[in-house]
Amino acid sequence: MVTILIMKKDSYLIADYMQSNVTRVSPETTVKEVTEIMLKRKTNGVVVIDSMDAVVGILSSWDIIKHIVPDYLEQDKHLAPFEAAHVFADRIKEVANDPVSKFMTKDVHTAKKDDSLMKAITLLSEFHIRQLPIVDNDNKLIGYINRTDVKRAAGDVLRLNYSD
Amino acid sequence: MPLFFYSTIAVFVLTYAIIISEKFHRTVVALAGAILMILLGIISQEQAIEGIDFNTLGLLIGMMIVVGIARQSGMFQAVALYLAQKAKGRPIPIFILLGLTVAIFSALLDNVTTVLLMVPVTFVIANNLKISPYPFLISAILMSNVGGMATLIGDPPNIMIGSAANLTFNDFLINLAPISIIIMVVTMGGLYLWYKRELVTTKEAQAAIMKFNPKDALTDMPLLRHSLIVLAIVLLGFIMHGSTGLEGATIALGGAALLLLLSLHDPHDHLREIEWTTIFFFIGLFVLVTGLEHSGAIRMLAEQLLVATAGSPTAMTLTILWGSAILSAIVDNIPFVATMIPLIHDIGSLSGIALAPLWWALAIGADIGGNATLIGASANVVVGGMAEKEGTKIGFFSYMKVALPMTLVALIISSVYMWVRYL
Repeated sequence: MVTILIMKKDSYLIADYMQSNVTRVSPETTVKEVTEIMLKRKTNGVVVIDSMDAVVGILSSWDIIKHIVPDYLEQDKHLAPFEAAHVFADRIKEVANDPVSKFMTKDVHTAKKDDSLMKAITLLSEFHIRQLPIVDNDNKLIGYINRTDVKRAAGDVLRLNYSD
Repeated sequence: MPLFFYSTIAVFVLTYAIIISEKFHRTVVALAGAILMILLGIISQEQAIEGIDFNTLGLLIGMMIVVGIARQSGMFQAVALYLAQKAKGRPIPIFILLGLTVAIFSALLDNVTTVLLMVPVTFVIANNLKISPYPFLISAILMSNVGGMATLIGDPPNIMIGSAANLTFNDFLINLAPISIIIMVVTMGGLYLWYKRELVTTKEAQAAIMKFNPKDALTDMPLLRHSLIVLAIVLLGFIMHGSTGLEGATIALGGAALLLLLSLHDPHDHLREIEWTTIFFFIGLFVLVTGLEHSGAIRMLAEQLLVATAGSPTAMTLTILWGSAILSAIVDNIPFVATMIPLIHDIGSLSGIALAPLWWALAIGADIGGNATLIGASANVVVGGMAEKEGTKIGFFSYMKVALPMTLVALIISSVYMWVRYL
């Protein structure tokens, strides 16, 4: 019987798909430093941890963009076409030394590595987030899971063969 | 009964003190104080509800909805950008035109809405001119309060006064617009002299302004048409309401209903955008003041004031003008005016003095007095906050250095105006 030959995996856990190589920074890291880190490591997201390795925030390129755009332009969508061109560079220089703690997302949702992938994607979907830091029982950061990891798991469920 | 009297005064004074201290949100404090008036048996719930001026609330809510929708068309921003271009990118004409625009918008919209619309445009224009936005921000504060004085709908204190004293839109226009325009011109002149040396730019910066296409700010043409139609109807409704007998709330809420119908937007978002915290602040204040009225404290104050001014209408008018200005510079003018309204009614019933000049003195004092300090009016606080976020901090004293002399001059002119016209 064919069905017996196919090993049916029925519980998909975070541990099987998470990445342990997480880019981490401290809350004091500046905009300039974190931009350099993101460029070097070709990533759009870093996890912010305190001296005890506990997750205190998450920072995406998105957060940096929002921090650069002045509030008065965010409030009034009609004005963007009129803003002076030099404001882009001015604003970046202005915020270059701001610590990430000032504008990172502080309300971070985390999961444990033994949690199910279903829990992980529910969190991603409910809070419209792109990545989920994974912590151990002492709340220390041990990895993270992002949308690509979820796609890999979905690919496994659907038995897709996508490697070149 | 003294215990009843003193407990009422205690609730009232304590509530106002906490509001002024800004330790808690003013709306929460006002509502808590209002409920306390009922729980302590000072007034019944029926009396409390009777004390709430639903005409004022309806007018505020209606205008908030209309303006909230209309601003999404970009029309107000487009006007400012268009004027910058008409001024050929020269900073001094832009400075003057923007100041006058703030004043005119502020006469038709409430002051906070006006500065929320105009300050972002100001930043963009100043950035293009490569000059500091500081003079423009100071001008926005001063001119919004001066312009707001001109009409019934320009400033919440005017709405309250108009509603309580049955004064029409045209009454305000005839009595307050002339003095508002005089003060506008004088204030603009003063600001020009004060800041003209800072208002210098380069040819390239001027060219950047000339490249503007103000129509790009108009993001929704059908909405623009609908908004203009409804704003025109609302304005006409106000100009005619002396003869039609329609009250402010009917006109403003009618406009809101019409614009919601025309734009067919989901009302959910627009109704959520109403500043409910402000509306509930008013509700709390109306109930608090009703409690104070019932205790007889306001009548006592009115008697004291009549004794102090020896019953002279001239002394009374000038006392109210200057007293309102000084107090409004220190405390929010909305709770102040809410308390003054029954006081002036009592002065009328006690002495038979003609009340009209007193209402105008109250409106001028409360609106102009708010200019003196950075915390004198809501618009000032809002501009201060926006400026600080963008790294152009307006200091409390550096603001006063410019604003206090301007306010004093405005009050002296107003005193002369009152004297010549009414006394």
